This record gives sequence, structure tokens and C-alpha cells, in this order.
Amino acid sequence: MDKLLEVRNLKTYFHTQDGVVKAVDGVSYDVNKGETIALVGESGCGKTVSALSILRLVAEPAGKIEAGEILFDGIDLLKLTTEEMRKMRGAKISIIFQEPLTSLNPVLTIGRQISEGLEFHRNISLNEGLKEAVRLLQLVGIPHPERRIYDYPHQFSGGMRQRAMIAIAIACQPQLIIADEPTTVVDVTIQAQLLELIRNITKELNTALILITHNLGIVARYAHRVFVMYAGNIVERGSAMDVYHYPCHPYTAGLLTSVPRLDEPRKIRLIPIDGQPPDLIAPPIGCAFQSRCNYSIPKCQNEKPPLQEVAPNHYAACWVSQKDQRPWQKKSL
Amino acid sequence: MAEEIIIEVNNLTKYFPVSRGLFRQKKIAEVKAVDGVSFAIHSGETLGLVGESGCGKTTLGKCMVQLYRPTSGEIIFEGKDLCRLSDKELRPFRQKLQVVFQDPYDSLNPRFTAMDIIGEPLRIHNIAKGKEYQERVAELLRLVGLAPYMAERYPHEFSGGQRQRLGVARALALQPRFIMCDEPLSALDVSIQAQIINLLDDLQEKFGVAYLFISHDLSVVRHISDRVAVMYLGKIVEIANRDELYKNPLHPYTQALLSAVPIPDPEVEMKRQIIVLKGEVPSPMNPPSGCVFHPRCYRAFADCSQTIPLLEDVGNNHHVACLLYNQSRP
Repeated sequence: MDKLLEVRNLKTYFHTQDGVVKAVDGVSYDVNKGETIALVGESGCGKTVSALSILRLVAEPAGKIEAGEILFDGIDLLKLTTEEMRKMRGAKISIIFQEPLTSLNPVLTIGRQISEGLEFHRNISLNEGLKEAVRLLQLVGIPHPERRIYDYPHQFSGGMRQRAMIAIAIACQPQLIIADEPTTVVDVTIQAQLLELIRNITKELNTALILITHNLGIVARYAHRVFVMYAGNIVERGSAMDVYHYPCHPYTAGLLTSVPRLDEPRKIRLIPIDGQPPDLIAPPIGCAFQSRCNYSIPKCQNEKPPLQEVAPNHYAACWVSQKDQRPWQKKSL
Repeated sequence: MAEEIIIEVNNLTKYFPVSRGLFRQKKIAEVKAVDGVSFAIHSGETLGLVGESGCGKTTLGKCMVQLYRPTSGEIIFEGKDLCRLSDKELRPFRQKLQVVFQDPYDSLNPRFTAMDIIGEPLRIHNIAKGKEYQERVAELLRLVGLAPYMAERYPHEFSGGQRQRLGVARALALQPRFIMCDEPLSALDVSIQAQIINLLDDLQEKFGVAYLFISHDLSVVRHISDRVAVMYLGKIVEIANRDELYKNPLHPYTQALLSAVPIPDPEVEMKRQIIVLKGEVPSPMNPPSGCVFHPRCYRAFADCSQTIPLLEDVGNNHHVACLLYNQSRP
């Protein structure tokens, strides 16, 4: 398969009063053309920052991409000038943000906001842009688009705003869309509508998708490959099937057993992951998950485990897993 | 499960006026947030209440603990109708009806220490003083899995999960018989959610307290509830025992909700058919005629836009408000 995006050893740090927050600390992942991958993890694990880094949207001066390469179609995005980068955003890579109410401009009409990118990238007039906006709103399922392009974001409901966001994201037919928790603020029935819409559109346009979410169910439904993040690192990667059926990192296994499942008999008790994620200003020396892990060995305290192939195309950053015995798998199966 | 009814809601409504004008406010419409709801909760039982945002589930919960005064209807608690009591008469009842709020970041006073937060109910109701007060707070902290030495800390020094534990400790301080939990997990991460669920389970076993558990997460509701009620646009459309509801959902809305919940297993997901509902929840200011769900319903027929379906027992203590089932019976 053709590689569209390759992120290599990305490090994005935030310089705060209390010290340096290593939000993303040496993350590598790749996306093939037309593929959907998922970045999964809890809040603060660095999944959003690692995706924002691709678009170079990390807020400076506090946030800074310290090291790494982001190869998009062979071009290193980190080496582009600001002007060259502007030409990528929206045209080649676009993003759907989590909260459409705060990420849409409240004083511009929806049509104007969809047209904005088209005018910039395609060099067309506002009038032509608005015509295209009508077509796009139709495509994302908004009734009466010829009237709705003159509405402001506050006149749209939450689900419709997110549809408008999708219309903006696909306007220039990008090769890659980043969807950052696209359905966290909407209800389940609307979530189902939006995700189906995103899936159909990416399929039709053969667009690659990076789906950022904490919802393991959504990942299972939509992603081909999964990258599990914890404390600024990828701790497990593999195909959705492998990761869900044979989790090779105890954190992934813990996440899977801590959520109740509708298709299984009800458990008497859930098995939570005790404790909480580490402070990213002073992360532990060894494995970041070690203090919450039931299977840790002395080595985990002293040495940080690298991401290594533990089965064909299935990688995990865990010392225990590498010894080829995964006690958590027996438990969860 | 004891059969004693602890709190009973009869035909409850809560309408909010919509007014226009700055000085001479004129009522132009009403939002029917809760529109004729009846059910009962037994002691030591958990009733799960699910529905989408704006369906009135929080309003219903707030009415039950009298944070809102309902427009009409009855709430019977310990033989008294709470809706008819004056604020003063209500006070002793407030001890027994407590709340755990959604967002532990907003619902804890940032200028209070953990001790002030948990102890406030004890102070207000003059229950404990001095050494006894401190001991009681320490005991409550231990009860929710925090350490007594944390009593001097402020909310910002706690993590999200720990803050929600403080919220639970505060609710428990007065040994209530009923706690309304309003989306207590939605601000927490997945791995922390299970900790709070287990905590709520343990406390219920220990004290026999009844919960109204409001949530939009159907998997969590199945885990924690004994019975489940589904709300749509101010009305309960289906209510049944947990296993019955999840095995045999009858209302098309419940079926769609259940099918919309993604299951964390790619293999299962590949084979699954999901029901994607059309459109969005209509405005409660101007609800559709007949069955409020009919414009989005995939099984609606002509009569649905005319006749309001009533919540009827279809056997097995399973109540559903849908013409599909009301008609099929003789």
C-alpha cells in the first residue's frame, strides 16, 4: 500500500511555568492512502497534540515541535515555510475539530466559511465558492442548503454544525482528514449519523482519515489500524482485529476490560485500571504505565520499553509482552 | 431487593416559560421539559435514566430532589408529597435526598478545602461539631477511597476521578436514602469511570441507598441499573427491568439507541446492522403531534401523528409507549 503520511519520532513539548510538558515524546505512525487509522487514549495522552503537530497548529510559543519528521507524500512538513504550509492546510490535509461551536467563526455565515478555503486554494470568487458550498452542504445532508449558507453557526444545531465542519474539511478534496473527537459533544443517535457520513465520504473520495477518540467502540467500528497512546507515547499498534482480540500491552487490555459491553453478559464487577496517568512534566524513568500495571517486573521501573514487534505487524512497548507471555490475554479471553 | 418504595413520581410535569421583552416580560411559549412522567424507585434500587441531551432527564432528576419545583404532579417520599411542602418543611427531607453532579470541576467550590466541601452538609444540618466533625469527614474520605490527610487540600489539587469521589462523599455525608446521580461519569476518562462505578456499587450495597442514575451511555447504565427508563422529549417511552429492556427492547427509539452504541470489538461490529435515525430531536417548545418520536421513527404509520401513545404494561413489568404494541393487543 502507498504511504501517504509518515510521522517519525515526533516530539512536541510545551514550555510552562512549572516545567517542560512532554506531551508527545517520540511518536511514530503512518497512514496509507485511503486508510482509516485511530489514535486512542485518555485525555492528556498526547493524541490531539500529535495530530495538531501534523498541521503545525500547536500553539506557540509555549508549544514547540522539538524533533522528528512528518513526511506527507514525501515532503517533510516541518521544513516548509509558513506560506507553503498554508497551502497544505485545507487543500491536502484538513481537520474536523471536536467542538464545532468554538471552532467555527461566529460572525461569518456558514457559506462564507466553507467558501473561504476554496477561494484561497482554488483562486475562485466568493460567488463561485458559495455555489460550491451549497453542493457541499447537500452532500453532508443539510436540508435547504441554498438558504442555510446564509445562516450563522448559532442558527445550526450541534449535529448540523458538525456537518458544516465536515463540509469545510472536504471542500478542497484533501488526501488526509484528521477528525479530532468529532462526535464527543453530540448524542449517540447523531454520533451514528455523523460517523456513517464521514465513512461514506472518505470511501467515496478515497481520503485517508486519522480518527482521534477515546471511545473504543467507535475505533472498532471504523478503524483499520489502531495506535494506542499513553503518556505521550504509542504503547501499542496493530490492526484493529489484533489489538482488540490479542492486546499486547496491559494498558490496552485494561481499557478493554474496564468498559462494560452491551453484547456480553453483564459482569458483576468492572475491572478498573487503578491510579491515574503520570505527570508529564516529570514522567517516570521506566515504563510510564508501570505504577498502574498488575504485571510489572523490576525491569519496568528502570528502563523504558521500546515499541517492538511482538507478532507479525503487531507492536507493543512492554517488557513483559516481549517475553512472549501475556497473562492479561488469558484473562480477557 | 426490598420491595419498599422509597420515592414515587406521579404524573410529574415541569414547564419552563419562554418570555420575550426586556422590561415587560411576556410569556410567549412553554418548554415542556418533563411532560407527565410517573414511576417509582424502591429502596436499594438503581433506576437508570437514559436519553439524549435536552430530553428532560436532568430536569426530572432535579425535580425529584426539589432543586426545581415541578409545575404539577406529585413526588411522594416517606408518605409526603414533596411538591406541596414549603421550603422550611422540605429542609429535613433534603438530608435524605442528595445529588452527585455531572462535572466535578464545576460542582466543587474552589475556595473550600475537601473538609469544607464534605463537611458543609454536616454543618448546615448541625449534625457534628469539633472532633466528631473531623472524624466524620475522615471516615467519609476513607469510604470513597481517599486518604484522611487529603482533607486540607483544595479541589484543584485532586484529579478528575478524585474530585468525583469528593462529590460522592459529600452526597453521602448525611446518610441519604436516595441519591440523584446526574451523568457522574461523563467528565471522566474511561479507565477512571470503572473506578467510580464500582464505588457507587459498593456504597449501595453498604448503605442500601437508592440511585437515580442519569446517563447517555447505555453500556454503563446496563451495568449499574436494576431497572432502566428511556426518555424522549420530556416523556418516558419505555421502562423495564434491566435484562428485559436490553434483551427485548420494544420502542423503536430504544432499539435505535441500542444499535447506535458501538461495541469495542471489530469482528462484532463488522456483522452488526445499525439503525441510523433520521433528523434530530425536535424542539420541546414545539413538539410534534401524536407520538413525539414519529417524525424520526422508521416504523411509524399514519396514526402515529394523530394519537398520543400511553405508557402501557405489555407484561413482565415492561412498559412501553408506542402504538405498535398498544394496537396489537386485543
